[in-house]
Amino acid sequence: MKPIQVVALGLIALGLFGCTIKAVGDPNRPITINANVVVDVRGLKQTATSIEDQIASGKIK
Amino acid sequence: MTTKIQTGKLAAALAAMLCLGAAGVQAADYDIKEMTADVHKAMSNRAARYESVQKLKSTGALGENNRGYLEALNASASAGAAVADENADRKVIYQAIVKQNELPDSAMSQVEATFAEVQRDKSKAGDSIQLPTGQWTKK
Repeated sequence: MKPIQVVALGLIALGLFGCTIKAVGDPNRPITINANVVVDVRGLKQTATSIEDQIASGKIK
Repeated sequence: MTTKIQTGKLAAALAAMLCLGAAGVQAADYDIKEMTADVHKAMSNRAARYESVQKLKSTGALGENNRGYLEALNASASAGAAVADENADRKVIYQAIVKQNELPDSAMSQVEATFAEVQRDKSKAGDSIQLPTGQWTKK
């Protein structure tokens, strides 16, 4: 891969993964960022099933 | 300076990067990461009353609601006591999952709904269950 391609890829990667957020504003009025966290229901269901199995069997790990 | 970028290769590299990123998205591993005394007690309490709860469910006195908790479906005292104790222990477990997995408080309803789904799956034929729509039915 040519150096220019490496640089281009680096810039793309920086754009995709290396974002810096700089907040400017009144320090007495903090900025609130509401993040939406998506819960992985599949992973949660595995956990719930495992816990309920332990309770049903009486074998608490 | 002349820059010659082979767009095909660049697109392929970009696609590979996106694929690598996507590969990082896998089933999250939520768990009771630390078996605290409270969680252990809640699970042990639930295990100890498991059979009596199953009996009350089979008589129709109790049902599994769609929020992950037991619900008394008639006014018997034994059913009412079982519901209060069982639901308090369930809440300890649900809250531990939210807290220990650093989920936001808003995830609690999702945790409860997922446990409700598991309870519906595990209910025996004839047990009362509440569907996600809110309608009660016999499994």
